[in-house]
Parts: sequence; structure tokens; C-alpha cells
Amino acid sequence: MADWNTMSDAEFRKEVRRFFETEYPEELRHLPHRPKFAEVEHWHRKLHARGWVAPAWPAEYGGMGLNAAKLLIFYEEQQRWGVNRGRDMGVQMVGPLIIKFGTRQQKDYWLPRILSCEDIWCQGYSEPGAGSDLASLRTRADIDGDDFVINGQKTWTTMAHDATHIFMLVRTDPGAPKKQQGISFVLAPMDQPGVEVRPIRTLAGETEFCEVFFDNARTPCENLVGELNKGWTMAKALLSFERIFIGSPSLAQNALGQLESFARCRGAFDDPVFCDRFAQAALDVEDHAALYARFADQLKRGETLGADVSMLKIWVTECFQRITELRIEAAGPDGATISPLQVGNVSVDILASFYKARPTTIYGGSNEIQRNILSKAVLGLPG
Amino acid sequence: MLSSDQDDLRLLRESARTLFERAGGSGRARKLRDAGGTWDPEMVRELAAAGVLGVTVPEVNGGLGMGLAAAGVIAEEVGRVLAPEPVVMTVGLSLGLLRRLCPDHPRVAQLISGDTVLAVAWQERGAGGAPGDAACRYADGKLTGSKAWVVGAPGSQGFLVVAEGADGPVLALTEATANGCSVDQRVQADGSAMGELSFSATPAEELARGNAVTEALSDAISDTTALAAAELVGLSDRAFEITLDYIKTREQFDKPIGSFQVLQHRAVDLNVMREVAQAGVREVLARMDCETDPGVRKRLASRAKARAVTAAKKITRDAVQLHGAVGYTDEFDIGLYLNRALVLSAWLGDDAYHRRMWFKAREQEGAA
Ligand SMILES: Cc1cc2nc3c(=O)[nH]c(=O)nc-3n(C[C@H](O)[C@H](O)[C@H](O)COP(=O)(O)OP(=O)(O)OC[C@H]3O[C@@H](n4cnc5c(N)ncnc54)[C@H](O)[C@@H]3O)c2cc1C
Repeated sequence: MADWNTMSDAEFRKEVRRFFETEYPEELRHLPHRPKFAEVEHWHRKLHARGWVAPAWPAEYGGMGLNAAKLLIFYEEQQRWGVNRGRDMGVQMVGPLIIKFGTRQQKDYWLPRILSCEDIWCQGYSEPGAGSDLASLRTRADIDGDDFVINGQKTWTTMAHDATHIFMLVRTDPGAPKKQQGISFVLAPMDQPGVEVRPIRTLAGETEFCEVFFDNARTPCENLVGELNKGWTMAKALLSFERIFIGSPSLAQNALGQLESFARCRGAFDDPVFCDRFAQAALDVEDHAALYARFADQLKRGETLGADVSMLKIWVTECFQRITELRIEAAGPDGATISPLQVGNVSVDILASFYKARPTTIYGGSNEIQRNILSKAVLGLPG
Repeated sequence: MLSSDQDDLRLLRESARTLFERAGGSGRARKLRDAGGTWDPEMVRELAAAGVLGVTVPEVNGGLGMGLAAAGVIAEEVGRVLAPEPVVMTVGLSLGLLRRLCPDHPRVAQLISGDTVLAVAWQERGAGGAPGDAACRYADGKLTGSKAWVVGAPGSQGFLVVAEGADGPVLALTEATANGCSVDQRVQADGSAMGELSFSATPAEELARGNAVTEALSDAISDTTALAAAELVGLSDRAFEITLDYIKTREQFDKPIGSFQVLQHRAVDLNVMREVAQAGVREVLARMDCETDPGVRKRLASRAKARAVTAAKKITRDAVQLHGAVGYTDEFDIGLYLNRALVLSAWLGDDAYHRRMWFKAREQEGAA
């Protein structure tokens, strides 16, 4: 396997770009919705054959082993060409956790199945009563012989209706003195009688997330990752990773590109007020990218990120929302239309990116929670 | 003739609210949306029986002879329960045109009684799909051309079409089922649909012609713009109440989320915003009732819509944020409010558009 990191950045970028441009299926470019696996499977097969499913994983586990700089280039090219991330919760979330905390056996068993998408994962953290206050989660896992027996409910589980497995936080010691204690991280198969999935319709009219009910569902004790009752610290490590990922410029950059081409077709740039608002949005995105690069450099130097990474997510998600609102404005009387709109020779869904932008300030730790973190951990404010 | 007597308006508000609540409140809007996205003709007749549709039509023509302030009260109530019935469209646009141009036409009575609904087709697409110049023609009793963004087109029995005649604009009436008339439906965020109409030698009846048509249209659009603002005010009001209730009851970290100071301040800001919008829009409607200069009325209407859209967008979007993930579901009503606000904002110009119009109108008055 190639050692990508020895290539120059420019060479590497060229190579990645060439691959996406020649191999990525045209009909999947800039997909407005979250696809089911079947829809992107043919693309996934190509990536898999090339060994490019997991750019961030070490090569020994079947990843590309990219350093932070190369990884950034990879993601930039991915978003530039409108390449869908596919069903990547396995690669992005549970894989890194298994690599870091899993046993040899767990790595050997689960990692190849993540890469091949034989297993498709969803994230079971949130519950009806445990959102921002995740540590108050109540879904229980009790040991019964060689199994955990799971009872309770998860919710907002993205794409659970198209997943084979769920990685979840469960309460394994209800008697622990603090609620952050007594939580464990377990993996469970979805295809069993004790698991029921109910899709939830979003306000955009799509089914993107689900409720998942557990009624004496079972998973072998060997599916515990890390130590029993130590799941909280592990999950938090993963959350900070999620934050830099959500904090990356890609969503906003993408939306800005869409805004620009739409506004040009509509003649919106004839209006100086609109130009000013566009410039504002564009500069918000550019300067965010500069800030993002600072954090990326930190990663490149092998440092771990501090709580200040939260500012990336706050800035970019709110910027993303403003950009999608500006496109609605540019659409004038078409601004609330769901039916596809013919603009030039392309068909545009005006509201898709607006709807996509709304929950970015809610999930991955709401922006209010991120501000709480910054004020305490970074600014050192009391309370 | 015009009544903006506060007691009258209060009574009107109470009876409109009771009528809508009895009919099923916002739950009715959800049911109608799921059933296909148009209004309930029975409800249109019930509203008509209460005098709602003819509220601004002079008594001699069968209306209540009240003013825009009264119509605004009704529009606010429509907004609170997201009623899909074409109230603002009928009061502001269809009857707004007919009562100015041909108050004795038999369709006036039919509109007031809710027996018929007529959508108004006055805009056309230009280059790039944005609004452009009028090209739809009327000649020898026939319409040819196309019209865009016709609110209420699916569900209306006919269309009031502003077209180009041999010597200036013509207002023509055509039936939805007339020969050569086709409607392309464009689904909106709230499940309703606008129509893109096309006519090819479609038979139509001329109702009025000349400059009077341009003037009546412009004034009717001012009325409708201000009434749409009032509908947004009612919508914002209810969205805020729902959110306030939610943050008082939803608990995280062992207390109601409304006990976190940052959410308290957010709620206060939204409340200030809705009060400012309500005061501004109500004042505009009352002033429009005593104002005859079309330029000034236009400026007032822009002021109302600019304010109401800004407030409604901010309130409904923050409302979803304060609900967390449940706010993003279809199951919770708050999303319906967000979606309806999108539709009412895009209709007849959003806040950015109306701030520009307001400034232009003000400059013109200054120059005059
Ligand atoms: C589209 C989408 C996809 C999701 N996918 C997944 C998934 O795959 N798996 C999963 O486990 N979860 C998922 N989630 C859930 C997500 O993590 C939660 O929505 C999030 O943690 C917020 O919790 P909540 O929705 O219960 O809101 P709540 O915690 O009830 O918050 C409601 C409001 O109160 C505010 N608030 C709460 N506490 C405080 C405080 N202390 N100070 C100030 N403000 C506060 C919040 O910021 C928010 O505005 C998803 C959510 C969405 C919207």
C-alpha cells in the first residue's frame, strides 16, 4: 500500500481529485438528502477496492493512515466534488473508538466489517430524557450469563432504520454515586426481536432519524468496549473529535458555492445590498477556514485539541444557516418552494440546505452547550 | 365607515379566535396538510357566514364595511392557528381588486359568501426565473400567455388575471376549468401549493381596463402585504407561546431548561421582538385605513411586512432551536410554524425586499 504521507501535498491533492472526478458517480454529486446504503453502495465498493474508505485510520487497520494535513486535503477534495460521505458512522465514530480502546479480538472482528460496510452503524446516545444532559441516560444493560440484557429507549438515532448495529451508552451501574459513573460503551446488533425501530419524520418531511426501543435485547459481554462503567470518558473523547469534524468549513463552503451560482442566475448581484450580504457570508467562511487551519496545525503537530475547538462549531454552523437563509432571500417568491426549481439548466432544491442547516446548531452538543463550555473552560468564568 | 374602535376589534378578535379554536386550532392545519394541502371549503363558508371574507367590502355591496385594522385582527387569528383558508388572499387581493374596480359584479357576492374562491394572477417570470415584465395578453375575449406564483391556484374556481390588452392592462376573469387553461402546481414548505398558470386562447371575461387596473392592483397589493404581516404577527405570537411553555416544562440537568439564564434572555428578546412587531403592524393597519395616498399606503405596508417577516423568521427559528431535536420533528407543532413562516415571508416580498421598498417610497415622498 502506498505511503501517501511521503507525497507532496500538491501531488496528493491531484491524485485525490483525479480519483473523485473520474470515479465518483455523477448522479450522487451534491446529494441533498442522507442516502440509504443501497443508494451509495456502488460507490462504496469502489472506495473499498481502492482502500480509501477510512482516510484517518492507521494503515495497519486498513485505513489510509493520512497525517492531519493530508486528511484535510482529502476532505476538502471530497466536499469540493460533492462526494457523499456515505454511511460513515462506523468509520468516523465507532472505528476510532475500537482502535483506541478495543481488544485485539474486537479490532480483528469489527474493523474489516466496518470498512466493507458489512456492518452499518448508528449512534445510540440520546434518550428522550437525556439530550444536552447526556449523562442522565437511563437505558440499562444488566449482565446475565455471557450477555448484556438491554432495556430502555434511545432516540434521534440517525439512520437507525438503515443500520445493522448500534454503538451505545448504557447504564451498567445504577448505584454509582455520580451519574457520569456507571455508564458503559457497548456494541449491539439491531436485527433481533428485542429491538424495535420507529422512524421519525422531520419538519423537512424526511425520515432521517428514529426512536429505538430495547425490550430485553441481548448482546454478548465481549461487545463491551473499554472497561465496564468507564464509557463516559471514552465517549467524551469521541465527542471532541465530532466537534472538529462538525466544525470543518465544508458545509458552509458548499452552501456558499450553491448560493453564488443561484444568485448569479437570478441576477441578485445587480443589487448592492445583496452583494454586501454575500461578501459578508463569503468572508465569514474564509476567515473561519483560517481559524480551522490553526486547529488543524495543532493536530498536525500531534497535539490534542482543547475545549476551544468548540468555537469552530459555533461559528461555522451559524454561518451555514445564514448562507442558506440568504439563498432563500435570493429566490424571492420561490423562496418557500419545495418542488425543484429550474435555474439555468440545473434543477435546484432551494430549501434542502436550509433544512440541513437548522439542526447543526442542535446536534453534536448544541451551540448553547458549546458556549457554556467556552465560557467556563476557555474564558475561566465562574459558575 | 371605517371602524378601528378598540372595543369592536376586541370583540372581533374574540369571536374569530373562538371560531378557529372550535374548528380544531392548529391540529386542523396539520390534518388538511396531510390530506393533500388545500383548505376546507366548509370552513371557508363558515368564515364567510361570520362576515370574515367581506370585512372590508362596503355594506352596500354586502360586506361589513370595516377597515384593514379589523381585517388585520382576523389575519392574526388565521396566523395563530395556521388556518390554510384563503382569508388574506380573498380579503386583500380578490375582493381588494373587485371592490375597487367592479363592486357590483355578481362574483363579489359569491366571494363574500364563500361560494367561490378566486386566485389573483398578476406576476410573471422573467429572465433567470425572477419576476419579470408582463407578457400575458388579453384580446377578443381570450387570454394567452403565462402567470407565476399564483397563491391559492389549486382549490380556486377561477382566476382574476392581470393581462396586457390592446391599450393597456386588463383585468380578466377566467374559470379554472376553461379551455386552454392549465395549472402547474408548485408545492410549498407548508404543504400548500402555488400555481404556474398557462393560457392558450382561454376564454375570459373582461372586468376592467386601463390605468384603473394598475392603480387598484397596486393598492390591493399594499393591503394584502400589510395583512400578510398581520398573519405573521399572529403566527409569531403562538410560536412564542408554545416555546415558552416548552422551556418551562422540559427538564435537563435536573431543572427546567427555562431556568438557564441564557435561555431566559433569549426568551425575553423574542418577546420584545414580537411585541414590537405587533405594535408596529397594528399601527400600520390603522393608519392605512385613514390614508388615501397610494404611495404612503405602499410605504406603510412595506414597513409592516419588513418588521413582521424579520420577527417571524427569528422567532420560529429560535423556537426550533430552543426545542432541541423535538423541534426538528414533524410531530411537534413548532415545525409547522417555521414552515408557514417561510411561505408567508416569501409571499409578496420578504423583509430585505420591503426595507428597500420602504426606503424608495420614502425618497419619492421626499422628492414630491
Ligand atoms: C438531526 C439530528 C440528528 C441527531 N442524530 C443523533 C444520533 O445519531 N445519535 C444520538 O445519540 N443523538 C442524535 N441527535 C440528538 C442530539 O445529540 C440532541 O438533540 C442534542 O444533544 C440536544 O438534546 P435535546 O434535543 O434533548 O435538547 P435539550 O437538551 O432538551 O435542549 C433544548 C434546548 O435547551 C438548551 N439547553 C439545554 N441545556 C442547556 C444549558 N445547560 N444551558 C443553556 N441551554 C441549554 C439547548 O441548547 C436547546 O436549545 C440528533 C439530533 C438531531 C437534531
